[in-house]
Amino acid sequence: MRKLYSLIRASMTSDMNIFKIRQKKDNKKNSFMFPVILSIFFMFAIWSYANMFFEKFAPMHLQVIVISLVVFLTSIMVIIEGAYKAGPLLFNCKDDQLLLSLPIKKRTILFVRMFKFYLFELLFNGLFFIPLIVAYLRWVEVIDWSFFLTSFLMLFMLPIIPIAIACVIGAIISSISSRFKYKNFIQIVLAMLVILFSFYLSYNMDFILNYIAKNATSINDFIIKLYYPAGVYIKLITKFNLFDLIMFILINCIIFILTIFILSIFYFKTNSRLKNINTSSNIRIDNLEIKSRPKISSLVRKELNTFFKIPVFIINSGFALVMYIVAVIGLCFKYNDTVTLVKDYLPDMVIDNHLSIIIFILISFASFMTSITNSVISLEGKKIIILKSIPLSVKDILMSKIYAALTITTIPILFGDIILFIRFRLSVLEMVLLVILSILTPLISHFIGLIINLKYPKLDYENSSEVVKQSTSSFLSVIIGMLLLIVSIYFISNLVNMFSSILLLLIFLIVYSLTDIILYMYLIKVSIKDFNRLSI
Amino acid sequence: MIEIKNVTKKYGNKIAIEDVSFTVNDGDIFAFIGHNGAGKTTLIKSMVGIHDFDSGDILIDGMSIKDNPIECKKIMAFVPDNPETYEHMKAIDYINFICDMYDIDNETRKENIKKYAELFDMEDKLGDTIDSYSHGMKQKIVLISALAHNPKILIMDEPFVGLDPKAVFDIKEILNEMVKEGKIVFYSTHILDVAEKLCSRVAIIKNGRLIKSGSMKEIKGDKSLENVFMELEG
Repeated sequence: MRKLYSLIRASMTSDMNIFKIRQKKDNKKNSFMFPVILSIFFMFAIWSYANMFFEKFAPMHLQVIVISLVVFLTSIMVIIEGAYKAGPLLFNCKDDQLLLSLPIKKRTILFVRMFKFYLFELLFNGLFFIPLIVAYLRWVEVIDWSFFLTSFLMLFMLPIIPIAIACVIGAIISSISSRFKYKNFIQIVLAMLVILFSFYLSYNMDFILNYIAKNATSINDFIIKLYYPAGVYIKLITKFNLFDLIMFILINCIIFILTIFILSIFYFKTNSRLKNINTSSNIRIDNLEIKSRPKISSLVRKELNTFFKIPVFIINSGFALVMYIVAVIGLCFKYNDTVTLVKDYLPDMVIDNHLSIIIFILISFASFMTSITNSVISLEGKKIIILKSIPLSVKDILMSKIYAALTITTIPILFGDIILFIRFRLSVLEMVLLVILSILTPLISHFIGLIINLKYPKLDYENSSEVVKQSTSSFLSVIIGMLLLIVSIYFISNLVNMFSSILLLLIFLIVYSLTDIILYMYLIKVSIKDFNRLSI
Repeated sequence: MIEIKNVTKKYGNKIAIEDVSFTVNDGDIFAFIGHNGAGKTTLIKSMVGIHDFDSGDILIDGMSIKDNPIECKKIMAFVPDNPETYEHMKAIDYINFICDMYDIDNETRKENIKKYAELFDMEDKLGDTIDSYSHGMKQKIVLISALAHNPKILIMDEPFVGLDPKAVFDIKEILNEMVKEGKIVFYSTHILDVAEKLCSRVAIIKNGRLIKSGSMKEIKGDKSLENVFMELEG
């Protein structure tokens, strides 16, 4: 037990310190306050949304539906994103050599890694769960101590099952990909398939839901059959039962332990196989390409190389872009369905007159939900000394990261634009504006990501998943991206009937250009100092 | 010439190096020695522009690293204590990348890469990705990329760690060649007998303060460098 405690303590201090502050003492408070304020802001948004839903369901006394929905959806989110980050979190970590050489059971190592995953997801779930519970208090007449006890315990219990499922999927993906020569490529393909399959399943749940509904005796029964943890929670807050609570805690603990036992069976083999690197191409030096390139081009190539060699980075950053292409294809081939969907959310919009605006919303989604640069500084790790010792200005180094990110995002976005321009009739001016916005919009996201990563770097990471998925920088960028998307859609829906499409696009073009200029100025004036302060 | 002028560097309240001053002349092989945590790496990182420092100045060929970092870096090459490279890259791509940063033309880089790759027995391994290399091979790649751009000043932090005896011998030959051309080699080391045989000048640092600096003859007199070091450390 003492070993386990020491191990958890050591890994917590070295790599789970997601709010690690590197800045000088006087900046510490401000650096810490920003993520806290942003989290509060995010929780406030969730609280507001929850209230909106409670308001609709309260007259029918079905507030529990909202709770079960949020619990279900956050769990699904954990499973989907956990499926591709669990593999890199569990296997092939930088501290493998140290830990595997110590007299510790493999199960203990796995436990520590899963525990770290759990802690992060606990934080993530809390952002949704706590405001939900606070909002719920407003909409029920009678609340007793059992509600608070159950909710408190649920906060800690709810992430366990999704994490266990995600770890099993992640481990299977890692195990399969470890058998191939091109491990990374297979890992990306499998993870993408799992994600796309999850989405396909969630869009085609009618059959499953109908089946459950037919066989359920009550709403509670329906929810329990749909998702057991959500069902038990609802059961406990509507009619507390100590036996159910203890059973639920026991089931969660057993699942967690069982997952560790199952994974530990093939952990060592998979880990060893993942570390196998194909060597000895034996290509003579005379047959190798030795060619000079301009500095910036060489730096951009290096950045792209980094991006394409880290599966979790590709999947995390490329997900919104893939969704964009899927949406473009959907818009082309299922135009009428899309019109109905848009009308549900933006009833004032006349689709045929505002097609370019719909495309712009899609571009905004792809841009603001794709944050590549929030990890590019952290991923340098100890190698940051290479960039700091080369004879190149910091501005060029930072801008090369922006150019690389822009290359990654702009190509699929412009590809989608071209498909839409061919399929739908837009004026030349609309097309020009959309193409420019396809560059300006992701640029905002890239500037913000880089500025945040320079403010909150994590250079001493154990695996890339930690940086890409579990760092302060990635957390803040995702929240800011979501907020920017919400704000953009809010303004679009309010301005769409006041201006013509072209004028509205022009307004956004001006606003985004100015935003890009301000962010660029901030990057080269302020963030350069952050770069100079980086040290490991 | 490298001029270290009253350099002080602090980490928070802890002084890493304090008021360190010495000069390294053209044609010197300069050994920088001290116990673990004495401040060697901190000073080296300040010299190559990786770290800022709190006071003093470091002049590289008369240019301040603070005011003219890019111009200073153009004539320097740095080999860190741990071979940090972009491991997912092929070795040849990494070396090309470094050469690009120093604007090395095709002919020079081809000639130098071939020369040093053959010297370090790496000529048929540059097509592999660096993550498949051993520690020593990675160190060789860092050395090849540092030497490929013909630096006027070569700064190394514990360069011999992890290298096989042949590679150590070859490096010593290269360093001797460099100083014959009037270039500067500055390196930190714990291998005192190599330093004694190889270096013309030496500086000893202890707890962040320079305790001795001068020509090898002046510093050691009739004793061995190891004895002098142990006496000073004691």
